[in-house]
Formats: sequence, structure tokens, C-alpha cells
Amino acid sequence: MPTNTDMPTYKGLLLRGVGAGAVSGLFAGLVGVLVVEAPIRAALAVEAARPTEAAGHEHGELFSRGTQVVGGVLAAVVVGIAVGALFATAYAGSRRWFTSKAPFVRAVTLSAAVFGAAALLPAVKYPANPPAVGDPDTVEYRTVLYLGLIAAGLLVAFGASYLASRLGHLSQPVRSTAVALAVVAAVVVLLVAFPATPDAVPADMPGSVLWDFRLASLAETATLWLGLGVGFGLLVDPAVRKVRQVSAV
Amino acid sequence: MTSPAHSPAVSDNWVIPIPKWAYAVALVALTVTWLVLQENGIALGHAAETVHEFFHDGRHALGVPCH
Ligand SMILES: [Zn+2]
Repeated sequence: MPTNTDMPTYKGLLLRGVGAGAVSGLFAGLVGVLVVEAPIRAALAVEAARPTEAAGHEHGELFSRGTQVVGGVLAAVVVGIAVGALFATAYAGSRRWFTSKAPFVRAVTLSAAVFGAAALLPAVKYPANPPAVGDPDTVEYRTVLYLGLIAAGLLVAFGASYLASRLGHLSQPVRSTAVALAVVAAVVVLLVAFPATPDAVPADMPGSVLWDFRLASLAETATLWLGLGVGFGLLVDPAVRKVRQVSAV
Repeated sequence: MTSPAHSPAVSDNWVIPIPKWAYAVALVALTVTWLVLQENGIALGHAAETVHEFFHDGRHALGVPCH
């Protein structure tokens, strides 16, 4: 009977991706409440201390702080489900990605690569900003830069797996070093080539609040992506069920 | 139960057929992500402000440009 689930179908992978995404999104949302909420509150206090309501949208007008905290958790869960579905599709289509490794290793490696391209790379070039920092006039330009860098980062990850598959004739250490060097070179080119963010951080925003927020935000995205990879890996790897069966007999 | 050690999932030609409706799923997933993290009024018009404000903490916490 367990051999039936050994060969996964796309539908089965999709359901596992959605489930793992919902759970990792919930964990990420909890990291948001426990870690990111404090610097957000500090930043909102800075905004409230300003003489005029110059910002593009007022906070706490439509929703109370408490409702927005719930909305923040819900955003992480919904995004977790959506990226879980996308992740399952990428996993199903990843023919070159560590094909000789166990499904759990494949899933975690893929999620680490996506975290690097879609969260860590933009966090280095365009670090997250708390409320009261961004200029409403430049939000569209900043969004284009942000999404463009993510797309370029995903291309680098894809290119790395392609390069690794083309260097099959090299020994494992030489191949890994060559791929790592190529990735580092590509990332440096991206970081230099992409223009700097157009906004200056307002003078009234303390650097400690800013960086508390940025690191906390990175903790939340790391929880989302790596949680997705670990959860998905546990759900797809037949070895997880086999161990349980052996110990039950 | 004689030789459960070998898994067919671990092999060099490991390919899972992806049905056509998977593209629809991917499109829905991307649209949902965009609605939660990016929608500024293009699709939802005035209701976008409500969506924007409700998910506002999530937008900032997930590192998406805002304001
Ligand atoms: Zn904002």
C-alpha cells in the first residue's frame, strides 16, 4: 500500500504544498505578532508624533491596531497557501534539482534557494521598511525594483541548477565550487546593477527601530519559506511514513 | 515489506506530469498574493483601501514596498 504514495501525482503535491504553506504561514504570522509587531508599534509612534498627517494613508482610521495585527497574521497565512501552491508546482517541475537526493532534502534545498532569491536578496538590496518610512510618490518605482530583483534572483537560482546539470562530468566538490562561484558572481552583478532605493529614511526614524524592524521582517520571511520547505518535505518524503510503520510493527 | 528501502521517487529521471490546470492554479496563487501584498486600487478600486489597510501589517512585515 505505501508504494502507491511513493510516486506522487501533481494533485497530491499541490495539496501538500497548500497544507504546508498554511502551517508555515501561520508560524510566520506568529513571528509577526511576537517579533515584528514591537518595531511596527515604535514606528507608528514616530509617525503619530509628526506635526501633520503628511503620509499617503492614515493608520488606525479604518481598522484598530488589534484588527491590523490579526490582518497581518491572515496575510501571512493566505500568502503561505498561495506560495505553497506555487512551490508544489516548482517542485513537481524541478527535474534537475538534486535528483539523487531524498524528497525531504530536495524540498528544503528548493525552499532555501527560493528564500535566498525572493526574500534574502531583496532584503539586502531593498531592506524592508516599517510604516512611516516610505515615500508614497515612489511606491510604484520601488515595487518595480523589488519585483524585478526577485525575478532576477529566481533566474539565478534556476540558472544554478541548470549549470550544475551541465557540469555533471566534474567531481562533486569541483562542481559545487564552480556553481557557488557563479551564483556569487551573478548576485554581485545584480546588487551592483540594480539602482539604489529612491527614498531616504526620514531623520526622525531611529536607526534602532529601523533595523529591529528589518531583522524581524527577515525572521518572518525566513519562517515562511523554510517552514514551507520543511513541512512540504515531511509530507512528500515516503521515508517519514516508513519509519513510523517499522516502529509500529 | 521485504525491501522497502528503495524508493522509486529517488531516481535520475524523476518527472511528475504537470496537468494543464496547474497553470490556472499558479495564476490564482499569483493573483491572491498580489491582492494581499500589492493591490493599490487597480482591480478593486475604492475597496482596495480596505484590503490594503487590513493586510497592512503583513505587507510591511513580509518586506513588500509600501506607502
Ligand atoms: Zn504601509
